[in-house]
Amino acid sequence: MTDQESRGSSDEMILTCEGLTKAFLGVKAVNGATFEVPKGKITALIGPNGAGKTTVVNILSGAMTSDSGTTHIGSTDVTNWPSYKIARLGLMRTFQLSRELGDLTVLENLLVAPKHQPGESLVNIFLRPSLVKRVECENVERALGILQTYGLYDLRDNRARELSGGQKKLLEISRGVMASPTLLLLDEPMAGVNPALIERIGGYILDLKAQGVTVLMIEHNLNVVEKICDHVIVLAEGKTLATGRLSDLRANPEVVTAYLGEVINASTHS
Amino acid sequence: MSAFWYYVFTLLFFLFDYFILAMGLNIQYGETGILNFAYIGFVAIGAYVTGAVSMPDSAGTGQHYILGLNIPFPINLIIGGLTASALALIVALISLRRLRTDYLAMVLISLSLVLYDICNNFVPLFNGADGLYNVPEPMAGVLKLTTNSFVPFFAGVAGVVALIMWFLMSRITRSPLGRTFRAIRDDAGVASALGKGVFRYQLTSMLIGSFYAGVGGGLIIQFGGSFNPSAWLPGETFVIFAVIIVGGVGNNIGMIAGSLLVETLLVHLPAFLPSIPSHPGLIEYVDAMVIGILLMVMLWFRPQGMIPERIRRSPISASTPLSSVTAVAARAGAEPLSTVEEGGAS
Amino acid sequence: MQQFWLAFGFGLVTASVLAISAVGLSLQFGITNYINFAYGDFMALGAFLTLEVNSGFLHLNIWFAMVGGSLGMGVLAVLINRFLLSPFARRFDKTFYVLIVTFGLSLIILNVIYAIWGANVRAYNMPIEQVLHIGPFLLTRNQLIVMAISLSLMVLVHIMLKTTRLGKSMRAMSDNTTLAMTSGIDTKRITTITWFLSGTMAGLAGTVLGITEGNLTPASGELFLFVIFAAVIVGGVGSIYGAMAGAVLIGLATEISAVFINPSYKLDVAFVLLILTLLFRPSGLFARPGKA
Repeated sequence: MTDQESRGSSDEMILTCEGLTKAFLGVKAVNGATFEVPKGKITALIGPNGAGKTTVVNILSGAMTSDSGTTHIGSTDVTNWPSYKIARLGLMRTFQLSRELGDLTVLENLLVAPKHQPGESLVNIFLRPSLVKRVECENVERALGILQTYGLYDLRDNRARELSGGQKKLLEISRGVMASPTLLLLDEPMAGVNPALIERIGGYILDLKAQGVTVLMIEHNLNVVEKICDHVIVLAEGKTLATGRLSDLRANPEVVTAYLGEVINASTHS
Repeated sequence: MSAFWYYVFTLLFFLFDYFILAMGLNIQYGETGILNFAYIGFVAIGAYVTGAVSMPDSAGTGQHYILGLNIPFPINLIIGGLTASALALIVALISLRRLRTDYLAMVLISLSLVLYDICNNFVPLFNGADGLYNVPEPMAGVLKLTTNSFVPFFAGVAGVVALIMWFLMSRITRSPLGRTFRAIRDDAGVASALGKGVFRYQLTSMLIGSFYAGVGGGLIIQFGGSFNPSAWLPGETFVIFAVIIVGGVGNNIGMIAGSLLVETLLVHLPAFLPSIPSHPGLIEYVDAMVIGILLMVMLWFRPQGMIPERIRRSPISASTPLSSVTAVAARAGAEPLSTVEEGGAS
Repeated sequence: MQQFWLAFGFGLVTASVLAISAVGLSLQFGITNYINFAYGDFMALGAFLTLEVNSGFLHLNIWFAMVGGSLGMGVLAVLINRFLLSPFARRFDKTFYVLIVTFGLSLIILNVIYAIWGANVRAYNMPIEQVLHIGPFLLTRNQLIVMAISLSLMVLVHIMLKTTRLGKSMRAMSDNTTLAMTSGIDTKRITTITWFLSGTMAGLAGTVLGITEGNLTPASGELFLFVIFAAVIVGGVGSIYGAMAGAVLIGLATEISAVFINPSYKLDVAFVLLILTLLFRPSGLFARPGKA
């Protein structure tokens, strides 16, 4: 019943997946993962290494197809849709290892993101140049605003591949934000960045929640999860082990053995 | 006109023409990352169709070919370009969606060889191995041009066409469409995760590039008055790759530099040199090797080419005060769930 | 019906040549994960090396010359990988670069052949042969030998892949290079050996193509390349057994089609099969996960 308490019975679910499985060369990376992501909340996806977290994100975002199971965004069945169609429904993702568009500038990385740009049609480029220009100006203005918020404004004309690891993480999040997402999947947004930046990224994620964006993030740092996440999903061996508030999960012996035990012990002793 | 000026205008024509061809391959390979190893096949189709539609009905010409519609310049050229695009559409629909880069390149190089085989053997299409000849010289009748004055005239025409094509291409590459092409080239997976239907954009890029190939080919057949399979051996595609890689991938100005160096100096200039009697053809063989080696050396030491792709700077200069943009800062723009469902229905 | 069986016999000959070349291409693709677009020219170069041994001052019997030419091509392939392809593949993440380099290499090798041996049609120095009736087939002794060579080579490749340490390492690398490296396989050595095998098989295929066709030209390998690609794609890219099956299918289809259509287009039938495969089974008959 911890589930019910944590999210409240009236919550709307923005993303649901049921019985997802995925095998690589016979090894089951995901084996029946089933969970829901409440709308407007920050949900953490945690679990030991090899639990299949990234594979689940890849399936949800359409980068991979699942062997079985279903995925819904809102009430739309998006099972095994290609990623660009899922993205058009408002689901944006970041990657565990940053995948910036290296030859494009930081600003251009953001400008690629908006959906349905009139300037992406050959007909508009030649027949409606003023419309193309107007939308482009709006996009540039909004992109510069986002870059300023994320502290990348001064780097806007640098090629993205020249950025540092932490800056690339910020770029990925801001690129996702530029696409006006309803749901943002962040694959370890704070891995390998310094503590000050972890703090900042945590703040950005809370701001996004305040603006009504739902966030699902893979995260190993339980202090962060404790601070910003409303809801936690524990994945182990490709299955959903438990869901609920982190404080409740800490009392769950199964979760402690599978994952939390070592982490909690490690963090209390350090 | 002296032989010297004849050479100069011929070289000038090829400079302009290869600039057009290079722009077409550049949008496919340089901007979008499609390895079109069949590019010369699209050039050839453009050339054949441009020639065949401008020629009279084949009966009585001693040649065998389809069409024969007496269509004047420049409409024939546009038809040639569009036919090349139509071929690209068929090829792309079959292979683009299903294959990763290198398998696509395999299919395309096969296509190039098969097209060659068919044009070479199937006489009723474009007169087989003899190819088309006596193709009408555009506007020669109206302007009362002689064989001598036609060469400088048509070099000029090619220059004008190249200028128009360059203007159109720069509009495309500078637009959001061009940016999305480059995003796909850098990482198609990311572009897809951002909601870009990669296939549709690659298809668009194929169609644009093939139109350029077709127009470039159409100019060649009208300049020389003839075109046959020996003019478009599959290896020719490589020469155009060399033009854009040496010049600078993703840079339209680089194309001119590349055309100038590779095409003019290495391919056409040696054709005017006297051959060595004891080794016929040796100059051309060595020439082709030099192009291959030049490209590899360039890829290794200067992969961005002589004139690299420019950084596209933001339209607002660094000194602009930020006040104007702070107002819109961080408008993440979360939409209500209802729009999600609308999107799903569409 | 008699015509059909005749064509079937020729189909087996073409399939034999194709099998050698398609397996040689697939072995190398499995290990390095990029297509060698100069493979057709490897074949031609091997064929002309054989010609040199066969008709040059050594004047060896065609079969000995074939061994010499093939091994020579194997050594050249190792050198080409060591000093050209491998540096490019290591330096650039995107496969574009190394693919363009192999494409350029194809132009260079072709023109080297033209420069050394000229553009004329050449033929091996072989005794003129009688045609043998074997059941419904009409084949020359040389064609039978070529079929025997191809068949035994396929069996050898199978035994190598399934039983030897080398073969197991090659399969492991082909599945996952990083994993193979971490589990102690000397990937550099395996890559070198693979290029040697691939080059040798290209040279062998080029030579037997010249023997069965009765002539050879510098461009013969390049024109045959798309038939090889068709066999590889129909069979399933990256699968050795798929390449063998694709070779048989394409070999038979091209020759048998010549009964019904103008033989000038028989090789284009391979392209039609390639397109049909793309439309209905894009990963090929023997698809391998992760390679398509």
